[in-house]
Amino acid sequence: MRTRATPYVLIGPATVLLMAFGVLPILVAAGVSLTDMDAAGLGDLSKVSGAGLANYRELFGDPAFWQAMRNTGFYVVLGVPSVVVVSLTIALLLNQSQSRFFRFLRSCYFLPAITGIVAIALVWGYLYNSQFGLINYLLSLVGLGPVQWLSSPALVKVSVALVAIWRGTGLNTIILLAALQGVPREYLEAAALDGASRWRTTRSVVLPLLRFAILFVTVTTVIAWLQFFDEAFVLTKGGPLGSSTSISLFLFQQGFAGARFGYASAGSVVLFAVIAAVTLLQLRSRRADVDY
Amino acid sequence: MSTTETMTRPVSVSPLHPARRLRRRRPWIVGTVLSLGAVATAFPFAWMIVSAVKPRRESMAYPPHVLPQHVTLEYFVQLMRQLDFGRYLVNTLAVVAISMVGLVLMAMAGYGFAKFTFRGKEPIFFLVLTTMMIPVQVTMIPTYLILNAVGLTNTLLGIAMPTLVSAFGVFMFRQFMTTIPTEVIEAARIDGAGEARIFGQIVLPMSRPILAVQVVLTFISGWNSFLWPLVIASDQNLYTLSVGIALLNQQVATNPSLQMAAAALMVVPVLVVFVVFQRHIVQGFALSGLK
Amino acid sequence: MANISTRRALASVGFVAVLGLAACSSGAGAAPAASTGGGQGSAAPPDGPLTVWVMGDATTKFDQLVAPFTQSTGIKVKAVAIPWDSVDQKMTTAVASGDGPDVLQVGLSKLRTYADTGALLTLDDATLAGHPNLATTNFLDGVAGKATAVGGKVTSVPWISDTRVLFYRSDILSAAGIAKPPTTWDELRADAKTLAARGKGQYGYYIPQWDSPLPVEMTWDFGGDIVGADGNVNFDTPAFRQAVDLYTGLYADKSVPTNSDFDQTQGFVSGVTPMLVSGPYLAAAIKDAAADLAGKWSVAPLPKGTTNTSLLAGSNMAVWAKTAHKAGALQLLDFLSKPDTQVKWFQLNGDLPTVKAALADSTLTSDPLVAVYAAQLANAKIVPLVPNWDGATGKALLDALNSIALTGTDKETALTKLFAATKGQSIN
Repeated sequence: MRTRATPYVLIGPATVLLMAFGVLPILVAAGVSLTDMDAAGLGDLSKVSGAGLANYRELFGDPAFWQAMRNTGFYVVLGVPSVVVVSLTIALLLNQSQSRFFRFLRSCYFLPAITGIVAIALVWGYLYNSQFGLINYLLSLVGLGPVQWLSSPALVKVSVALVAIWRGTGLNTIILLAALQGVPREYLEAAALDGASRWRTTRSVVLPLLRFAILFVTVTTVIAWLQFFDEAFVLTKGGPLGSSTSISLFLFQQGFAGARFGYASAGSVVLFAVIAAVTLLQLRSRRADVDY
Repeated sequence: MSTTETMTRPVSVSPLHPARRLRRRRPWIVGTVLSLGAVATAFPFAWMIVSAVKPRRESMAYPPHVLPQHVTLEYFVQLMRQLDFGRYLVNTLAVVAISMVGLVLMAMAGYGFAKFTFRGKEPIFFLVLTTMMIPVQVTMIPTYLILNAVGLTNTLLGIAMPTLVSAFGVFMFRQFMTTIPTEVIEAARIDGAGEARIFGQIVLPMSRPILAVQVVLTFISGWNSFLWPLVIASDQNLYTLSVGIALLNQQVATNPSLQMAAAALMVVPVLVVFVVFQRHIVQGFALSGLK
Repeated sequence: MANISTRRALASVGFVAVLGLAACSSGAGAAPAASTGGGQGSAAPPDGPLTVWVMGDATTKFDQLVAPFTQSTGIKVKAVAIPWDSVDQKMTTAVASGDGPDVLQVGLSKLRTYADTGALLTLDDATLAGHPNLATTNFLDGVAGKATAVGGKVTSVPWISDTRVLFYRSDILSAAGIAKPPTTWDELRADAKTLAARGKGQYGYYIPQWDSPLPVEMTWDFGGDIVGADGNVNFDTPAFRQAVDLYTGLYADKSVPTNSDFDQTQGFVSGVTPMLVSGPYLAAAIKDAAADLAGKWSVAPLPKGTTNTSLLAGSNMAVWAKTAHKAGALQLLDFLSKPDTQVKWFQLNGDLPTVKAALADSTLTSDPLVAVYAAQLANAKIVPLVPNWDGATGKALLDALNSIALTGTDKETALTKLFAATKGQSIN
């Protein structure tokens, strides 16, 4: 019954799809990044010619690229720890009780994660609005503001990241909560018996047991934030003055709005390399103490 | 998992005083803190609903009225009229339905990676995981060309195809299925069951929790997908709800009431699905060996 | 400097996938249609159905508009709405595959980019022959024929027009002691300052931070242009510097709100910004948002520097070069350019015509607002057709001006950067 082909039949369809829509595009991008492909070239390939590494040279000399790099770094540094810490905290607290009420609270926290980006843009754009937005009104009640959430180049990154944190916490909370529920009750009770405080129990019993889940959440969150795109795209289009443009958004603008496909492809390859390097680094540094 | 075995502390289950007291007192404090957080998290949705039933004049007023003075459903009516809502809804559901096929493919792959040894397993699995790291913006044009070459542009299948399987999903299935005892599968083989039957009648039913998770995640992404339906569809009859709503998003004259009504239409159905499946979701992740 | 043929070879290796796929697609895309080989539309049998890309959310109205066309010619028309924000992705993927609509609406700011792709059919005299409504002389001079040609080739015909005029709140102006709307930019700046002094949170004027044509209009009004005689973009002119001083001066006076998400309709209706330069779409939005404001606002021609040349914007209609229904597509363009059709579209969707005869129709001239638009259209120019205005030249222009106005960047530093960023951009 069990032939040698069986596993290939099983993994075949999914793998082929992932190769076609995941791996092949990055290979194409790598090829295109060595050319001067633009709108005209896209319609008529005979108008495309090789450009060697010129796109990469231009990219590394482009202040807008570096601005987007810095912004992305800012997003990652602000967003990843926030998402991980906030979702871990919520998960730990939610795990204190299995009551119906806590299950209801759990739903509330998951709510943002199930909301489409189009709806998020509408709702948050409205809340942040500087003319009739609710947030500034609430601040004015306590004598603060008005705050230029989406207009101040200094603040806009924080405003945009806040929405992404709000949206990104839910799924991770659920993943961590699930992992927590796999921690045997007995350990906690034993620790309590020994007179360990809640905080101590959490720190020295629970967290070590969650290592793999936390690693998983961290790695996927880092990848997601390095590709930061949606919130900035829908709320600010990367503005004002490029101060909320992430790398992904920069690539998108060069590629689709600017029709500079060669240039955008070079940026894609660089972004991919950065993501791969960061991810491998994370996995390597943790491999020592994680067993799957 | 193996770390748990190395725990030296003796396991005791006797009902003990301090632990009990702790548990009785804590939930109230924790509950209050969590409630505040939940209110803050869910607040934008409450504001969305409230604003959707306000007349435009009120939703653009400053200072804003927290509660509507006149409740109106005219914007929902307007949406239904302008949007061809029924058709967009059917398309969206069709995309979601097609995506469910992807679930089976991901489950198959997860099973293959979890329970079989074969040549090239490690590199292929690595390659699968690599696709998580590829920026979405890169894939758009090549993906379009591929779909165009196989004649799937302007079809609902083409809309669903690029996101049919995800590395994240394959990974979750693999994690879960490694926890299925190999003996069960071997026993079935000895009894003469074919591989298809083992997968369909043993592995899949045992994977119900993770399937529930993936159903919800698939539903969410299918429901919310925006850019692909737009790019792939050359016929407005194939637009999904997100695209229809984007059409209403005018640059010059904002109408917050209408926008909030549109957002509410997007959110509520997903919410219902989530509430129905939510118990399975945590369970699914819990059993997936992600601890 | 490796030799070029090697590089070319390398590039094509990277392209193998694309090439192969593109080849497949063009084979699959060519539908077996009864191509009449560019013959005269009138003689051809019903040719279609035609797929038309319409920008924004107007397909229902468009269906209504073309119903008589389908009735008289038997050609079915299928309109597809494309959200303005997503036009680029839609167009790019269509160009990449060669598989597009039959007819599409092209915003003038995108015209150059789309024409460069070669995806639009060249509409030379021979092609247009037999379609009297498409004759160049029928249309507004600012967009007719050569005015919107790219590289000397006409690839589109005018469809709807749009211009910029001054919107003002007559009630607020007179309350502030301003008897009539400003007629020069100097007056406007002074009036704006007066109006901004009404109190905290009140302004005199509004500048949309995304409006790249505005500084260009100002430059025209001071007697200059942003394109030199050689066709190259040139911002290093006295007229442009005057425009910069005006633009940034309005901010320096604190006459203009600095929030990027400011809603112009709401700002105008609430009176926070009682003056702004905007297009006819704003009038529609005001009527829609606050019908009871009627009589308290009006429009006036653009203020002058030495002249008051305004922006001529809008959209043209183009035919997809690889369409299988060329004859039908041209018939449709001809129908859309009929004065009657243009007037009807104005009634349905509020878009101004590009056909002169339609602009002179009593349906339009009886409306005092439209009379102002029509007069302004006669003195309006299009933004120069440089490649990728929105993403390159226009963006650099806005970045420079906004960085001076909003973040206090030194003027000369910002301008030097602008000159460098737009060097080599040309309408040729």
